[in-house]
Amino acid sequence: MGTEDRTAGPARQTNRSGPVVAFTRWMENLGETGFAYLLLTPVFLLLGTIALYPLLRTFELSLYQNVLSDPEFVGLENYVQLFTGAADARMPGTTTFLPEIAVSSSFPFVHVSGLLRSALAVTIIFTVVSVLFETIIGFGQALVLDREFRGRRWVRAAIIIPWAIPIVIQGMIFYLMFHPDTGFLTEYLASWGLVAPTNTLNDPASSLLIVTVADIWKTTAFMALLILAGLQSIDRSLYDVAEVAGASKWQQFKLITFPLVLPALGIAVLFRTIDAMRIYGLVDSVSGCTTVPSLSCMVVETFNTNRGLASAIAFVTAGIIAIAVLGVIYQQYKEGF
Amino acid sequence: MATANEPPTQSSDDENPGPLERWTVGVVNDPDKRSRLYRALFYVACGFFLVTTLFPFYWLLVLALTPNAAILSGDWEVTLPIVGTELPFPTPQGFNVSAFVEVFQQVPFHLYVFNSFVLATVTTVIVIVLASLAGYVFGRLEFPGRGLLMLAVLAISYFPPAAFLIPLFDAFLGNAVVVPFLGIELFAPPRLVNTPGSMIMPFSALFLPLAIFILTTFYSQIPDGLEDAARVEGTTRLGALFRVIMPLSAPGVATAAVLTFIAVYNEYFFSSIMALQNEPNQWSPLVGGILSYQTQYTTDFNLMAAASIVGVLPMLILVVVAQEKIVSGLTEGALKE
Repeated sequence: MGTEDRTAGPARQTNRSGPVVAFTRWMENLGETGFAYLLLTPVFLLLGTIALYPLLRTFELSLYQNVLSDPEFVGLENYVQLFTGAADARMPGTTTFLPEIAVSSSFPFVHVSGLLRSALAVTIIFTVVSVLFETIIGFGQALVLDREFRGRRWVRAAIIIPWAIPIVIQGMIFYLMFHPDTGFLTEYLASWGLVAPTNTLNDPASSLLIVTVADIWKTTAFMALLILAGLQSIDRSLYDVAEVAGASKWQQFKLITFPLVLPALGIAVLFRTIDAMRIYGLVDSVSGCTTVPSLSCMVVETFNTNRGLASAIAFVTAGIIAIAVLGVIYQQYKEGF
Repeated sequence: MATANEPPTQSSDDENPGPLERWTVGVVNDPDKRSRLYRALFYVACGFFLVTTLFPFYWLLVLALTPNAAILSGDWEVTLPIVGTELPFPTPQGFNVSAFVEVFQQVPFHLYVFNSFVLATVTTVIVIVLASLAGYVFGRLEFPGRGLLMLAVLAISYFPPAAFLIPLFDAFLGNAVVVPFLGIELFAPPRLVNTPGSMIMPFSALFLPLAIFILTTFYSQIPDGLEDAARVEGTTRLGALFRVIMPLSAPGVATAAVLTFIAVYNEYFFSSIMALQNEPNQWSPLVGGILSYQTQYTTDFNLMAAASIVGVLPMLILVVVAQEKIVSGLTEGALKE
């Protein structure tokens, strides 16, 4: 670093001086490694202040109580209370936030004792169901888009559009679909026993279903595009060979399409899983965080009154998502990053 | 297609089997019929995906065009008899275009949209500049720690915003930044809540990684010779990046820019939290505008729908215009190599 091996650099040609020129000359003379780290400095400065510092600080805060008034170190007490359910009483607005969920026995998953376990259940159910259906429907969409036909461009645009709309508007659409005054679907779906006939958006089970469907509607396109990319990277001559060998369309799908698209599918599923576990905005705008308490929801609901507890929830959330992130990292590592 | 010269043997061959069985036998034995079945299935799937993705927008249009009095009186649903059941199918009860004018009178909706545009544009510029630096380093330079740093970018980007929220919120309120675990107070930052800074900084960090991965791919594909030629001409290293490599990768830069713009415009978490009162003159973006209808004007359903349509329009145009960029960007970003 800082050796004179690049003296042929153009900065030497002028005799002007001043800090800018001096800095340019210094930069031109840096070795490749030094230059690389120099250019990365602003990037990691930003990521460090906005992501890394808050992550560490969140963990520190989670070890304290009364962070705002009189910080007191309590070790892992916040976590213990969260997992045993003892922390529920310290949640803000317990009158509205907790009992509403706990009392609603219509929803067995949310009825588990302890708000954190409810939030875990809600988040995991939402993630598994939405990612599963997004994969299946996305595969269907990708198969449709993989064919050549007139108007393909427009069909693709139509499929992408839900992905590109703001979360708050996605929430508004489904809020209006099930609002008692406007919802035209409530009665019909209630007759099938899928949603509660009245107060649909205050019913945890119904709301979780609505939120899941809304998420599937919006993000299936992302899945479809990744799977489509996988489909289009398949060598077409494989199908010609299969055709000659007399393989049926189903056999072609089972023996060529599916195994070859699997790696792309795996990455798509991991990305979507990580993303689905952050669910907040959709819940907040469709039915409110008190009805469907996801993990992120609980952080937002508690952080203004109880920093320590909220930090503990936030860190648990981060920890759970970190497992999926490790999956991605392992995948990338295997491919020889 | 030419269906006229279909062999009539199948039907006249034997009269005994029912139509369904005859059809099944025909499909199994006759490749022509089989391909017609696949074609029919394809059109059914295509139609299904078009209806499911576009129906929610039709629903918004129905609500926006129906006068609010008609919505509140409730008795306006039309049922559509499909396969035995009566499927509810709303149609506009009137043609009240003035809702699209009222949207801006009830609430300064244009200011919210304007804020969103400013936030999205500034964030996009910051992200493109920083991601260009990182993309150049990761895509064109060889140095120790390259893979590790790329993994760090990837890992940081997948933690949930909720895990960063609490310390960031404290800092943006103007409280002193504390070194985690050491208790050393560094400095008190300016109060940033209700200003663009409190949103642009998290947005930039959140959406930087995707842009970095897209630009890394594009920048690495520019031949070394072109960069060397520019350097011989007397350009500095940074000059070569911004005057040679970046213009040559214009499609990649556009892709990253479009995706970043969409992501910021659609963001919910920080948009709803960092603008404390959802006030347009305190930089609350689109999220605040839509939510103010949901929380303040709780019965103006036609305006909620009209506002949503206005908010969606920019994204609709962007998807139609920049479809290829979105598709390639999403797939490049996730499935590298």
